[in-house]
Amino acid sequence: MLTIALSKGRLAEQAIDLLEKAGYDCTAAKDKSRKLILEDKNAGLRFILAKPADVPTYVEYGAADVGVVGKDTLLEEDRDLYEVVDLGIGKCRMCVAGPAELKGKLDQIPNKRVGTKYPNITRAYYEGVKKESVEIIKLNGSVELSPLIGLSEVIVDIVESGRTLKENGLDVLETVAYISARVVVNRVSMTMKADEIKPMIAAIKKQVEIRDSEKEE
Amino acid sequence: MKDNRFYTPDGFVDLTPEVCAFKKECENKLHHLFSMHGYQEIETPGFEYCDVYTSPDFVEETELYKVCDQKGRLLCARYDGTIPAARFASTILKDEKAPLRLSYIENMYRFNQAGGGKQNGFTQAGIELLGAAGSASDSEVIALAIESALSTGVKDLQITIGQVKFFDGLMKQMGIDEENAKAIRSALEKKDFVTIENIANAIGLSEADKDTILLLPQSQGGMELLEDFGKKITGSEAADALNNLREILEILDDYGYSKYVTVDLGLLGSVGYYTGLIFKGHTYEVGFPIISGGRYDNTVGEFGRDMEAVGFSLSLQLTITALMRQGMKFSKAAPDAIIGYDESINGARLAAVTLAEKMRSEGNSVILDTSSMTEEELNIYADEKGIETVLYMDNGEVNN
Repeated sequence: MLTIALSKGRLAEQAIDLLEKAGYDCTAAKDKSRKLILEDKNAGLRFILAKPADVPTYVEYGAADVGVVGKDTLLEEDRDLYEVVDLGIGKCRMCVAGPAELKGKLDQIPNKRVGTKYPNITRAYYEGVKKESVEIIKLNGSVELSPLIGLSEVIVDIVESGRTLKENGLDVLETVAYISARVVVNRVSMTMKADEIKPMIAAIKKQVEIRDSEKEE
Repeated sequence: MKDNRFYTPDGFVDLTPEVCAFKKECENKLHHLFSMHGYQEIETPGFEYCDVYTSPDFVEETELYKVCDQKGRLLCARYDGTIPAARFASTILKDEKAPLRLSYIENMYRFNQAGGGKQNGFTQAGIELLGAAGSASDSEVIALAIESALSTGVKDLQITIGQVKFFDGLMKQMGIDEENAKAIRSALEKKDFVTIENIANAIGLSEADKDTILLLPQSQGGMELLEDFGKKITGSEAADALNNLREILEILDDYGYSKYVTVDLGLLGSVGYYTGLIFKGHTYEVGFPIISGGRYDNTVGEFGRDMEAVGFSLSLQLTITALMRQGMKFSKAAPDAIIGYDESINGARLAAVTLAEKMRSEGNSVILDTSSMTEEELNIYADEKGIETVLYMDNGEVNN
């Protein structure tokens, strides 16, 4: 029996779709009820639907063997996991954004205030890449608001189309990381349940390759 | 100020008598096992100067529990058994003829590390074989790690073994510089194919080399895996490393333990001081390895005595958690008997004391009642505690 943690929402649906194509019976996971644990004994699969930020935690502790979660969450949570497949779905960028007039002038502002839902990613970026001290202001949503109202100079946030930014007079200033959904595996499960997990990884990888090659054509 | 007196600190737990009894039993078995193989137990103070761990950086400073002594010098709680043992061997035992075989069963303190399953305080049992190089020494330590886990009652055990030098040699063979090797290493630690491929592309590796590196995260197996990789190796460092693993598999076969062991060429370990063999032990129902070990030839020398070294530790907390979740029942550690006496009768107390001593000398655990319970009260008490025998000294017993 494998326990698979999915990030509630669109990513879960896409992941289930991919798993089905890979030959796994995911009928249980499509249950539209409000159940949080969906088990199919015959298929040997148990799905849990968790908040995205909790998926790495479930997998790290071994409560789930496998998880599907965005790279943004993985970077923010920094858990001790195996990160085995890039599913190539849920693609977006983690960016520094702010008023367009700051483009190319960011380095001139000392002790910047940075509003973000991702304090760990922000710290790692400014300390590790930019070698710069900043004041990080943790926010929980509508992060774009913060530079508009003078709470911070810039923000670090996920950018998909960039529309929300544009409509609020903000622009992407720097790219922190490219994000997409990943398959993660618990370190112990990888060994103890190798017979179940390895074929699953291989089947998923194959599906991703097939999909990508279809796209190219 | 918030009143915290009712709570244990984050990451620390109390052990109930049942768990405690089982843990002690495990500790006794482990101590016996280690001493039967000639490993002598040592005890280190529990606090070290921070320098012991941080100059050079054996562990991240932020993972240490730090306190100051009266002179303002920075101390830290014991983080692991290995580094204090290395210090011990280099100082107190500096004139002892090598090889040295040392063991310990002690509490470790770390901030939120996987060693104790995210516990901050946990007990580890381990051994260090110092001043002994080579595959036979490596194998002895792995064999003892396996026997340790088995002795506690773990049945489903998987040991994965890897070799740090294999990776280092491979990087040299491919002409990859230190910085990129480090990046590949940390990606490999996460089996992160995506990052590995990106790095390989960025530094313009040949297709063949790229394929070899991308094989690493999925290279688990036995002898055949070593044969396969042997063909891809030209440098002597990586070849020696593969040979070390091959010999270990052969020796463990003599012990009858090869069924527990899988080679994982992508296993490198997060601890920086390993220099050769590295291994982890896993069982079901806990998401963290219960065993961790490897060779660390350059560590003891940092304390003044150049010695090769290899060792392992087993986390008792994680092992017990795993056994509990796997369905092991811990018996309530009830004493065998309780003896009471009628205080109003001359000689009853003496009879009770004498009987208690006699029964204890015969190997029974006996409570001698000190709260003047009547025979009826004793029976109720014994029922609730699961004590099998109740003896009450009154007229009849005393006269006998």
